[in-house]
Order: sequence, then structure tokens, then C-alpha cells
Amino acid sequence: MLKGLRNIVTKEVKELVRDPRILLGIIIAPLLIFPLMGFMIRTSQEAAVESIRNISVGVIDLDQGVFAQNLTDTLRLYGNFRVEELAASGIDEVAGEVQNSNLTAVIVMPSGFSQNLTNGERAELKVYGVFRGGGVAESGAFAAVNSVLQLFEETLTKQRLLDASLDPAAVLEPIDVSARSIVRGEPTNINPDTLFALAMSQFFGFPFSIMLLIILAMQLASTSVASEKEEKTLETLLSLPISRFTILVGKLMGSVIVAAVGAVATIVGVVYYVGSFSFGTTAQIPVDLTQIGLSPGLLGYALLGVSLFVSLLSALALAVVVSVFAEDVRGAQSLLGFLYLPLFLPMLALLFTDINALPLAVRIVLLAIPFTHPMLAARAMLTGEYFTAIWGIAYVSIFTLAVLYAAARIFATEKILTAKISLGKKRPRED
Amino acid sequence: MVHAVEVDRLEKRFKEIVALDGLTFRVEEGTIFGLIGPNGAGKTTTLRIISTLISPTSGSARVFGHDVVTEASETRKLITYLPEDAGAYKNLSGREYLQFMGRFGSQSEKDLDDMVEDASKISGLGERLRDKVKTYSKGMKRRLLVARALMNKPKLAVLDEPTSGLDVLHAYHVRGIIKQYVKDEGVTVLLSSHNMLEVEHLCDRVALINKGKIVAEGTPAELKTKHKATNLEEVFAQVAGLA
Repeated sequence: MLKGLRNIVTKEVKELVRDPRILLGIIIAPLLIFPLMGFMIRTSQEAAVESIRNISVGVIDLDQGVFAQNLTDTLRLYGNFRVEELAASGIDEVAGEVQNSNLTAVIVMPSGFSQNLTNGERAELKVYGVFRGGGVAESGAFAAVNSVLQLFEETLTKQRLLDASLDPAAVLEPIDVSARSIVRGEPTNINPDTLFALAMSQFFGFPFSIMLLIILAMQLASTSVASEKEEKTLETLLSLPISRFTILVGKLMGSVIVAAVGAVATIVGVVYYVGSFSFGTTAQIPVDLTQIGLSPGLLGYALLGVSLFVSLLSALALAVVVSVFAEDVRGAQSLLGFLYLPLFLPMLALLFTDINALPLAVRIVLLAIPFTHPMLAARAMLTGEYFTAIWGIAYVSIFTLAVLYAAARIFATEKILTAKISLGKKRPRED
Repeated sequence: MVHAVEVDRLEKRFKEIVALDGLTFRVEEGTIFGLIGPNGAGKTTTLRIISTLISPTSGSARVFGHDVVTEASETRKLITYLPEDAGAYKNLSGREYLQFMGRFGSQSEKDLDDMVEDASKISGLGERLRDKVKTYSKGMKRRLLVARALMNKPKLAVLDEPTSGLDVLHAYHVRGIIKQYVKDEGVTVLLSSHNMLEVEHLCDRVALINKGKIVAEGTPAELKTKHKATNLEEVFAQVAGLA
């Protein structure tokens, strides 16, 4: 049995890996596409950062007072901008010229600007952002100019409050809000926003990766069965002195192995892609997960692994059962499309909400879908509710055994050769 | 006495279509038995039942005493089956394909090497066995598959249209190999063909099938004498009511 199984698995892996469609689509493409996307995004980000470093601002100083000079100095010193003083009586005179220059914005300080501020009144300031088609670099540069203007305004506000013998902090932020979290029944010093951001990054990553792995494996298992029919090799294989169950298990194992390689290729690609962004990574959140009990323990990882494995098996067995009814690889892939819906449903649902927050009927439907459970197990890893994961594993195992039994039954009978989903055509008579 | 194949009142229905209608015949060990008849006569269905791929609706088939339904795994150890339109794994090389198939019946690596060596001679593919199957012509693929079916010297080789897709020279070569394996290795061959002239030269005994029934059986010489015909084609035309 073992010799035969090894022989089948080796053949399956060779056949799958050497199939250009699989090699290209499942292993090479993720390794190329994701890093390439990341490279493009990183390059544009670097270009944006570079353009923010070299901001030029035009100034039309119609005031010539002390505050106008202060503002110009602030732009130079704090913003590190190149300030170009424009000799004009208004924006209309230079607008055309500015459009064709490299200026990010033009600040017009009208006459009386300093006088109004000295008198403790509101002063008017006009800021013209130069629109050249938008984009991250352009909007980032304008935001940088705005933030320096806000800094200047804040300094003036604080100075006015000090002049009126008031504490600027007490006036500007009269309530000191301190946001903390309760985790697993224990109060911690961590801001809930930080934890939510962390959880989001985990919850998005897990269901996405799990779904990807399952889809890959299903496609492989289905190709493996359907190509035997398409290439007319199935009859010879079934007449060999080896049990049909061994053939089934061999096909499942071959698919799991190649899917795992594909998943690793995809994850490597995605990690590089995600790492290309300079924002939103968990590394920027200074939280020690172990200290607050949110780091998954060995049991958590083990449960997730088992949950993932049994779900994967159920997906493969389902794919095999479905593929038996197809006449060729294309037909099998079409039939497989029906299985993608139950795969997407739990991912979408669990991405936005907790399963317990859903109506009972929806919850039952989701829990009946085996692919929901590894996603719940991934969440249980963080929350420590291991019972959810164990219950899920038990359910999916029973489900998988039932589907495997059905697959084995089909493999053991002539149905594997004769079963077809009728699409309106009559089956030709056998010779 | 145990026959290589014993088929008794075999019936197979696919819904309303009757593919086999009470087929009965015996094949002696170490002989070549040919099932001949036009397309749709029931030849492939008979061979598929004997090869344990499909079950009969009623009746029985035995291979060296083993019932093909209740003792399917025992039967599979004794046979090799070559389907008419069979393919080979296109991403494996010819040699890898033979090794994959050979491993199920070989006792050791030496045994496997001998099998592959034999297959190389039968197929005449030589160095081309290193190439992937997808680069083979239809004829080369067929030669590879015939070689696969004979290389492990099975007790019974079930060959559905063995020379289908081969040119005259290669068909002649394959027929010679089949005869040699029966003579030298004691292999029993049950084959089907709609080429009655080919069967006449190859088979020790033939059964003419039409519409799921055997309409005549005997040695080619007996049949020709009985029906006063010069070849099996004429015999078939007479028994099928065409002449």
C-alpha cells in the first residue's frame, strides 16, 4: 500500500509541477506579480517622499510686516521648504507662471496681516495649492505646507493665551482623555485603537491566506482528477493492481504538497508586497503581545494547524467529488466555481464582524460551512477561546470523513468513469 | 479446467441501451482470442467488464477463476488493460511513465529495470523514451502503451484495438511482439478489433460480435470453411445478414 501510495504521490507531484499552467499560475506568478506590485508601489512612494523633501513654496508678501516675515521664516526653518518670494500685487499676475513652475503652493499675505494679528484680531491668509493632476506626491506636499501653517497658527494661539495669563493646555485640551483596553478580563495600558489595528491586520491576513491555500488546493485536486479523464489515462490507472482508495489518497496528497508549495510562494510574494508599504505594518505598533496574553501559545498554533488541515482535506475531497462529474479540466474548473461561494462567504462575513454578532440563521449557515472554522480558529488563537477551535475541528473532521467516504465510494464504482453532469447532450453509446 | 477467461451470459445495460445481450465465451490460457465486430457492437464494454472497470448488469466474468466483480483486486493482479483511446501522462518522460506503471507489479528495482528494458525493445522508442510524452506522435504514444501492457508479462493482456493509430510497419511490428509474448512468455491475450483481416492473421480463436451478441465463434479457418468465405470479413457479412 505504502509503495503504491508513494508511487502515485510522486507521479502526481511531477505531473502537476511540470504542467506549465500550474507552474506558472500557482508558483511563478505569485512570486513575480506580488513583488512586482510591491516594487511599483514602493517606487512611487519613494518618489512621493522625495517630492515632499523638495517642496518649494511661493510667497506674495503684500504686508511686509513682522508676522509676515515670521511666517516666511517658519516655512523655511520648520518646513524646510524652499521659499520663493514672488514680486506681484496678486495671484492673478503670476498664476500662469506658477502653474508651469515647480511650486507646490503660493501663500498670499494681504496688506494688514501683521497689523490684525498685533491687534488680536483675525487675519486673512490665502493659500493656493497648485493642481497638476493630483496623486499621492502632490497631495502629500500640499499637506506638508498646510501642517506648517497650522503649526504657525498654534504658536500664535498659545502666545495669545499666555498674554491673557491662561494655561494653553487647559484651554485647548480641557479634558485629558486616556484610552486603555481590557484584555481577557485584565486592564492594560494599551490604546484600544492600537489593538484594533493589530487585530485587523491579523484578521485580514489569516482568512485571506487560508482562502488562497484552499482555492489552490481545490484547483489542483480537480485538475488531477479531470486531466486523467481528459488525457484518457484514468481507465489504465483504475485497472492497475492498487486499491482505489490509495489512488484517491495519492491524488489528495499530491495536491496538498503542490498547494503548500504554491501557498508558500504566494505568502512570500504577499509578505514582500505588504512589506513594500511604509505604513500599516504591525511592526510600528509598540505592543508586547506576550505580556498582555494575546500571543498565541503552542496549543493555539497546533489547533490552527489541525483546523486548517482538516478543512483543506474537506475542500480537496469536495473538489474530487465535483471533478468526477466533469469530462475535462475546463469542465471541472467550471463546476468548482460552485464551491467558491461558500469559501468567500465566511471570509467576507468574518472580516467585518464577529460571528456572534450575526443573526442566528446566518450563524448556522456559516458554521455549517467547513471553511469557516479555520478562520474562527485563527481568531480564537488571539482570544484564547480554544473550545471554539476544538468544536470546529470535530465538526470539520466528521464533514471531511463523510465527503471522503463519498469520494471513495465514487472511486470504487464505475461512477468514476460514467458519472457526468448532463448539459443537455445525450451520452453516446459505448462500443 | 480453469480458463484464462470465462464469460457467462453477460449483460450490460446503460439505462435503456442494451450494450451486451447474453454474451458467453471462453479463452484458453496461452492463446490469442479476438473479439471482432463493427463500432458499437459491444467489444469495449466486454473488455471493460473483464478489466474490472465496469460491472455487468447480469451474468458473470471470471479471469483465471476470479470473479471480476467480487474478486476485482485479485483480477487486477493478473491483467493489464490497454484501452482503445488511452493516453499517457504527457508531462512525464516515456521512461518515467513506464517506471510509474512498472512499480505496481515489480518486486525489486532490478525487476523494474528489466521491465523498462523490455518495454524499450517492444516500443522501439529507444532514446526517445527520455523525452516527454507530450512530444510523441500518436503512433509513438500507442507503441509506448502497448509496451506498457506487455512489459510485466501479465497472465492476461486485455488489448482494445492494439494497433489503432499505427502505420502498416509499426502495426506489423506490434502484431509480431504480441505473438512472441504469447509463445515465449505464456501470456494470454484477449483483444478487440474491427480490422478483421488483422485478426485473422493474429488470433487463434475469434468471436464475431454484433449488437451485443456473439453471432459466430471458432478459429479463423473453421469460420471461413463453415461459411465458405475467403476471409473473416465475408464471414461477418454473412452472419450479420449483410450478404
